[in-house]
Amino acid sequence: MDCLPDYAELHCLSNFSFLRGASHPEELVARAAALGYAALALTDECSLAGVVRAHVAAREHQLKLIVGAELQLEDGVRLVLLAADRRAYGALAGLITVGRRRAKKGAYRLGRADVEAQAAHGLLALLVEGDAHWLAAHFPGRAWIAAELHCGAGDRAKLESLRALARASGLPLVAAGDVHMHLRTRRPLQDALTAIRLGMPVARCGRALFPNAERHLRARVRLAQLYPPELLAETLRIAERCDFSLDELRYEYPEELVPPGETPAGRLAKLTGDGLAWRFPSGVPQKVRSLVDYELQLIAELGYEAFFLTVHDVVRFARERGILCQGRGSAANSAVCYALGITEVDPGRMQMLFERFVSRERNEPPDIDVDFEHERREEVIQYLYGKYGRERAALAATVICYRPRSAVRDLGKALGLEAEQVERAAGSLSWWDGRRVLPERLAEAGLDPSSPALARLAKLVEELIGFPRHLSQHVGGFVISRGPLAELVPIENAAMPERTVIQWDKDDLEALGLLKVDVLALGMLTAIRRALEFVGLRMQDIPAEDPAVYAMIQRADTVGVFQIESRAQMSMLPRLRPENFYDLVIEVAIVRPGPIQGGMVHPYLRRRRGLEPVVYPSAAVQGVLERTLGVPIFQEQVMQLAVVAAGFTPGEADQLRRSMAAWKRKGGLEPFEKRLVEGMLERGYRREFADAIYRQILGFGEYGFPESHSASFALLVYVSAWLKRHYPAAFCAALLNSQPMGFYAPAQLVQDARRHGVEIRAPDVCVSGWDCTLECGALRLGLRMVGGLSADAAARIVAARTQAAFGSVEELARRAVLDRRDLRCLAAGGALAALAGHRRQAHWAAAGVRREEGVLRPALLQEPALRLPPPGEGEDIVADYASLGLTLGRHPLSLLRPRLEGLGWMPAATVQARAHGSRARAAGLVTCRQRPDTASGVIFVTLEDETGCVNVVVWRDVAERQRRVLLGARLLAVEGRVEREGEVVHLIAGRLEDHSALLGGLAAPSRDFH
Amino acid sequence: MLWVALCFPRLALQARLRGCALPEAADEPWAVADNRSVLACSAAAEAAGVRPGSALAAAWVLAPQLRILPRDPGAESEALEAIATWAGQFSDKVSLEPPLSVLLEVEGSLRLFGGVACLITRLRSGLAELGFEAQLATGPTPRAALWLARGEAQTLPALPVEAIDPPPETLELLRTVGVRTLGELMRLPRAGVALRFGEALLCGLDRATGEAPEPRAFFTPPERFSAKLELPAPAGEAERVLFAARRLLVQMEGFLAARQAGVRACTLSLLHRNGRATRLELGFATARRDAEHVLRLLRERLGAVGLASPAEAIHLEARTLVPLAGVSPGLFGDARTEAEAWERLTERLQARLGSARVHGLATHAEHRPERAWRAVAAGEEAATAELPPGPRPLWLLEPPRRLAEGDFVLLSGPERIESGWWDGEDVVRDYFVAARGASLAWIYRAREGWYLHGLFA
Repeated sequence: MDCLPDYAELHCLSNFSFLRGASHPEELVARAAALGYAALALTDECSLAGVVRAHVAAREHQLKLIVGAELQLEDGVRLVLLAADRRAYGALAGLITVGRRRAKKGAYRLGRADVEAQAAHGLLALLVEGDAHWLAAHFPGRAWIAAELHCGAGDRAKLESLRALARASGLPLVAAGDVHMHLRTRRPLQDALTAIRLGMPVARCGRALFPNAERHLRARVRLAQLYPPELLAETLRIAERCDFSLDELRYEYPEELVPPGETPAGRLAKLTGDGLAWRFPSGVPQKVRSLVDYELQLIAELGYEAFFLTVHDVVRFARERGILCQGRGSAANSAVCYALGITEVDPGRMQMLFERFVSRERNEPPDIDVDFEHERREEVIQYLYGKYGRERAALAATVICYRPRSAVRDLGKALGLEAEQVERAAGSLSWWDGRRVLPERLAEAGLDPSSPALARLAKLVEELIGFPRHLSQHVGGFVISRGPLAELVPIENAAMPERTVIQWDKDDLEALGLLKVDVLALGMLTAIRRALEFVGLRMQDIPAEDPAVYAMIQRADTVGVFQIESRAQMSMLPRLRPENFYDLVIEVAIVRPGPIQGGMVHPYLRRRRGLEPVVYPSAAVQGVLERTLGVPIFQEQVMQLAVVAAGFTPGEADQLRRSMAAWKRKGGLEPFEKRLVEGMLERGYRREFADAIYRQILGFGEYGFPESHSASFALLVYVSAWLKRHYPAAFCAALLNSQPMGFYAPAQLVQDARRHGVEIRAPDVCVSGWDCTLECGALRLGLRMVGGLSADAAARIVAARTQAAFGSVEELARRAVLDRRDLRCLAAGGALAALAGHRRQAHWAAAGVRREEGVLRPALLQEPALRLPPPGEGEDIVADYASLGLTLGRHPLSLLRPRLEGLGWMPAATVQARAHGSRARAAGLVTCRQRPDTASGVIFVTLEDETGCVNVVVWRDVAERQRRVLLGARLLAVEGRVEREGEVVHLIAGRLEDHSALLGGLAAPSRDFH
Repeated sequence: MLWVALCFPRLALQARLRGCALPEAADEPWAVADNRSVLACSAAAEAAGVRPGSALAAAWVLAPQLRILPRDPGAESEALEAIATWAGQFSDKVSLEPPLSVLLEVEGSLRLFGGVACLITRLRSGLAELGFEAQLATGPTPRAALWLARGEAQTLPALPVEAIDPPPETLELLRTVGVRTLGELMRLPRAGVALRFGEALLCGLDRATGEAPEPRAFFTPPERFSAKLELPAPAGEAERVLFAARRLLVQMEGFLAARQAGVRACTLSLLHRNGRATRLELGFATARRDAEHVLRLLRERLGAVGLASPAEAIHLEARTLVPLAGVSPGLFGDARTEAEAWERLTERLQARLGSARVHGLATHAEHRPERAWRAVAAGEEAATAELPPGPRPLWLLEPPRRLAEGDFVLLSGPERIESGWWDGEDVVRDYFVAARGASLAWIYRAREGWYLHGLFA
């Protein structure tokens, strides 16, 4: 081995050079380490988006990573720049930012002058193509000519001419690989990426493809055959000069939040003190006081004051604007955050230990996500940009990756498949098939999976899935820095104008320990604020632990309530029977794939009902699991178990959490399994217990839900449930005004409100505003419910109406300056009934209004009245759905009932009353199809008719067999078996039928369903 | 005045598919798609629930075997003109109503064809022979005939409003005010209708009822006959070519009948992949026009010549017409004098050696040496791809010949070529220039060993 030359690869692209590199950064690092390279430079084209992943992998493989980038200048010069030190890194990030900000998303533009401007800052340069003399002049002693040999016919001549160029320019030669893939077996994928980039089939790409697979990480023995030894040795000299690691990046908090003369700690203490006085006007309880003191001390110790001050500043701004917000996350549910107004979860209400959330040993940044009303989050974002400037505040990136469908589409085209086949193959993939192209799906779509072309497609698709495609904005992860952010990470343009995004995503930031503040949008906050406004209350006015609210929740009467309105949650509620706030915290976390796959749900329920003894294998485990009856439910508990039972350090436990998130993608949990199980056996736990814990950890994977988030969500659960219980009309109106949000469509929300005795009134131009309103306890639908009507038009209607009532459609049109389109929408929504009569009449009147340059034709006024025959009930109901998405008339199924009965389908109420195990045949409108993220492949379908809902469970085999009916039917009929557990009734589907055609008949005049 | 309207709801499909003799053309679900939605579909597709306007994805759910052709607007308008040309034998007043209809004024022809019923029958069966399925109706005005053909109703008032093909917003408004038929529409007050739907709608109604005249432009048929038919499923057997040819021969028969003419010769070209063509010159002793006769001749010729390779399209051409009664002796024989000498030479060589064996050469952008050139039609000036950087001999062996180790001396190389996985003929080779005896050879090493691939001159 020792006779092999050492080598450092200095020119290597990952798949973050989109549609060029054919390997993940992690794969490149692992391969370079396996080949015994001395170092690897990741030099993606004008991008540092992949370097953090490479950095993390390099740490793991103990490989030296060099950060760099390849640049193609506008005049044809192509070079690689390498960061020798922190200063050079900043210059590189700045240069990339300049190039990227100048061009539209995904592109960049750089010239020689841009490179010259950064040349003095210690960057090393490798010339790949172009003017050596220019480079020599600007990078004295820091420039090389890259000799990249790929086994071409002209290699020898090429090397000779490079030697001549080196002599003439005085630059030394160095070996480099122009690496595009970690293994030569990625050649088909690399060719296919080229084809996608060029937008033509690979067979027509001709010589735009690389002639061979030499652009992979080559074995050193092979390099020794290709390159003169001095060129290989030179790579090591360059690698040695690169003395920069991403670990050196230190995040520095913005300074402006601390007034001159104060310290961050003093400022935080003062604000917390003020907050306590506001929260506890009659005196701060001693318990809270000591908790705050303890937390402040911990914050000071870790130096996190500025972070809390930053979040506080955002929340303060929102509060001043009347924007409802709520913090969640590891640090949010602390007494300090309660005092600062970041959360409404009273620390006295729960036994939270702040240390559980901010760990002394873990040395990771605290995590606070702040949810804002979804319609007003933009104001908060603009505030942050305004306050810190675009040079210092930017959104984190979300790496948009290839998914099965996009991979099939792009690769199908690249392989030259016919558009029809590509569409078929793409269309055959369903959201539940995961990452693979299943042969049976292709066969089902009429394609032959064994044909060579499709076999190639399937193989490439599996490789391509997960490849980054482009960078998009994270939903709200803000990075704010003290100095220019561009010296920390390159910034580029986002698709939305005036938006910028950094090249790193949230995991990258976390891996480097950089701080971000998550500014997220939450529809429920908007709805809660609106409902509180309707009833004239504030969030803190809502009484805690109202038994009536819990009684309602136990009945699963929770349509519209935050989180616990989903089918899965609803079926859990009557079993779990939450009685207090902490039960809600558990309820929110337990109906998740983590606990379900980890098998925690049933043990917990049995223990809760006293059917199974609550036992702990040790006192230490009892400390961790006591609050959940010995069953781990929260992500934090699993981490803590690793610490107390298996002897992990908190840092290792955190690593375990990260690996869990990635293991489904890459595997690699085995070393943890060994450590975990052995650690527990050493500490005297039984083998079965250790294996069970490991299985639970696997189950938790990326889906484990943290208690810290659950607690904040539980508060919103309680508040929304309280509003629903006591003010159903206001709650429903607020939900309707905040659409789109939540689990249910307006039709279901209105149905539910009506079942709770709320009178709903139709939208009416003579009384409705834009929003839904309350009229003496009744809910008046707003004009926002009228499909297609603009808010501006509604505002003009309201303004004109306040001066005088409208006498006719013509007068409405004239005074509110409405055009025919507006009027057509109003007629379709039934909002003209008061002025024009039934819907046909309204349409006739609306169409008669003609506006020509703002003047109404006077002839219209003399038009004789016309009496059109009224529409049938079916036609009206269909028109209601088309415009409003709901009807206030009879349920469409009540019109179809005689036919359905003739066909032997029973109403929902009948199904609800059936005995356990009996057969039932139900038909209804599909209001919801849901596939919980569990592996079992079950699909939940909710059918609605005039008597209520039927919850259908479709197991995988039926779903596979009757996939088209299941996905396509609007009116679905299900024959199956009733399963009853207490009040919870499910219909287990045996056979499905699509009766959507009956709905089409409703509007037809020839049939009468009265 | 009596008008016949011929309406072709499946024109977009049949224009593409009528040359297909296969049973699947009739019995399998087919559709023409435009912009990921169905434009027209076959009866089998319709039986499965596919409708024009369905999204393609939805259509596949209903009919998994559905086969899709992309839309070809050029073929559609050509088809309409072909129908109009053919229909010239029934009336000299033929008028196009794009995109889907042709109108004929037949008052004067009724006697000749034995009355309306007989005429309609002849039209229908003739169109079927052409490969088009028509909805036919008669009416006193062209518009009435057109609407009745589209709406398949007996009287104007019974027609659904969709039959008059109003703009979408007009149709939507008619539906919302509860108007379903033309009768209901005509009962609404005129002023109110004009205000809401525009004068154009009323004008159309008036033209249909004859209240207002409708001036129409008549179709002028072409001077010569030339028609092409694409075959979506390439025809490899003579029977399939004959089926398609029959469509064109019937078309030509109509064209000739309208002119009371015949032909002494015509040319049927079979167009193959790669732009090659087989030309079949058919000459007759006397002027002919009836399709069946020509078809018999064609069958014999095809039987003798055979099909070199599957035909992707056929083209029928008749340049010179003669009155069917008379014979003009000078016409035959000198028609091809313009052909150039080299053309004759290549034709002769091709006739002698087989057409696939005579061609020109051009370079082709590919890494695999055996595919870095391509055959082009003899004499064609083909675009040439840039030459690869390495040495390339002019003479390539096909297939490469296995070499024994030690049979050569390596002079330069290697040049590594790894390419071609996408068509199942991936190559992984290291090429060398080598001395082999007195000659300079281009050899490569693959997994299995050494090969001689070319010789430098």
